[in-house]
Amino acid sequence: MFGYVRPALDKLDTENRELYQAAYCGLCHTLGKRYGLAARLFLNYDLTFLAMLLGRKCSASKHRCVVHPIRKRPCACQSRALDIAADMSVILVWWQLRDGITDHGFWRGLKFRAASLLLRRAYSRACIYQSDFDRNARQQLERLNKLEQENCASVDRSADCFASLLSGAAAAEEDPIQRRILEQFLYHLGRWIYLADAADDLKKDLRTGSYNPIAMRYSHESGKLTEESRRKLGLTMDASIRQMAAAFELTDFGEYEPVIRSVVYEGLYLVGAAVLNGTFHIRQKRGQGDIP
Amino acid sequence: MPMRDPYQVLGVSSSATDEEVKKAYRNLARKYHPDNYHDNPLADLAQERMKEINEAYEAIQSQRKAHTAGSSSGTYSYGGTYSSYTGAAGAYANQRVRAAIMQGDLNLADELLNAQADHNGEWFFLKGVISHRRGWMDEAQRYYETAVQMDPGNTEYQHALDILDGRQSNPYQPDGYRAMTTAGCGSDSFSRICGTILCINCLTGGGICFC
Repeated sequence: MFGYVRPALDKLDTENRELYQAAYCGLCHTLGKRYGLAARLFLNYDLTFLAMLLGRKCSASKHRCVVHPIRKRPCACQSRALDIAADMSVILVWWQLRDGITDHGFWRGLKFRAASLLLRRAYSRACIYQSDFDRNARQQLERLNKLEQENCASVDRSADCFASLLSGAAAAEEDPIQRRILEQFLYHLGRWIYLADAADDLKKDLRTGSYNPIAMRYSHESGKLTEESRRKLGLTMDASIRQMAAAFELTDFGEYEPVIRSVVYEGLYLVGAAVLNGTFHIRQKRGQGDIP
Repeated sequence: MPMRDPYQVLGVSSSATDEEVKKAYRNLARKYHPDNYHDNPLADLAQERMKEINEAYEAIQSQRKAHTAGSSSGTYSYGGTYSSYTGAAGAYANQRVRAAIMQGDLNLADELLNAQADHNGEWFFLKGVISHRRGWMDEAQRYYETAVQMDPGNTEYQHALDILDGRQSNPYQPDGYRAMTTAGCGSDSFSRICGTILCINCLTGGGICFC
């Protein structure tokens, strides 16, 4: 999960952009308060989106922080939902790091080892708060590892592991109907993220010989998907986005509704297209240069 | 359960014109249209929502008609039903499969299918339905495609494939959004996301990955 989930900014007014930013800052502050500085280093857009899905209602106040020391920024106030989102973020990042260690050799795995060392204490605390989520994450990643060893050629089956892992976050929702809707939403969000990530890593995985179901399912030439493959993969990613939209229309996301709408009706398509065209990282680097 | 205020259900004020009420109703009816929830595990919730919207619209219509007798009613009916497999369609052996799918027991339905030796168009179609409900969209698509190839005249199979591929007619879009596909996005459109307006710092800069 590395920042694939983004709203289409031109569809949002200033107020909603501020809300999005406040959710980002709110999660960052909550991570800092609960888990210390190290945990804040791993914050990304996808985790912010999760916090918004879990945290329907929010209120914001203005804060200064390490990243924004001079101008105060709007920041979502501490809430139970943000606490849960922070716990789950730590667990998600932890398992992602562990996965990085098993997937890479000694030298390439060093950065994952170093990072997981930083996060170890935070992780063991997060497990106390969210033991079910952690157990599910562990089980799903074991399933994924097994499929990787079998060299499973089905994109659906491997994506199912990460999709089921993420849908476990819906357990935080108390109302059974809302939980069902959120589960379905998160399942397809997880499926989409997994596919986007696999497409994004195709070239690298082919070079290193790592498992990548997309490389087996779709034809490619010198690390790039052919046009026909891009069309087909886009089709199956779109099917997941439409399932997210269908779930979105059945529930009330409170103040975050416009932001979430712009993600499921536009943002994901744009990011997906950039990933498939191979322009995602180029754009991202350029985008980072613009940050004051 | 007492009925909610019909105007509230349609999201319009009670002073809205007939035309505004109709527009709001049509918009909601498109949003919860059965095609948007085809083989979706949340279809029952959409169906409930649609029932509520229909009742609200009818309630407003009859309230207003009572005031101005003789005005045109213009009820809006549209095609399609929420996926139901209770019909007598298909081979006898597959009726148990369809019943299991209806009850949400996808594992049983899958076992029943796997035990069959004869793999005809309906077999591939039902395999597709199970995959679709699980959220395994790529497998669903391939099963539907095979079913359509084996039985090109079957509208049930063709409809399922069209919906999965996003080819439904007149799909719902919220105000201000147009229908999109990943393959249809231009290469420059991503800049609308990485705008300079949002000053968010991603401290890690990414680089770690899952697969």
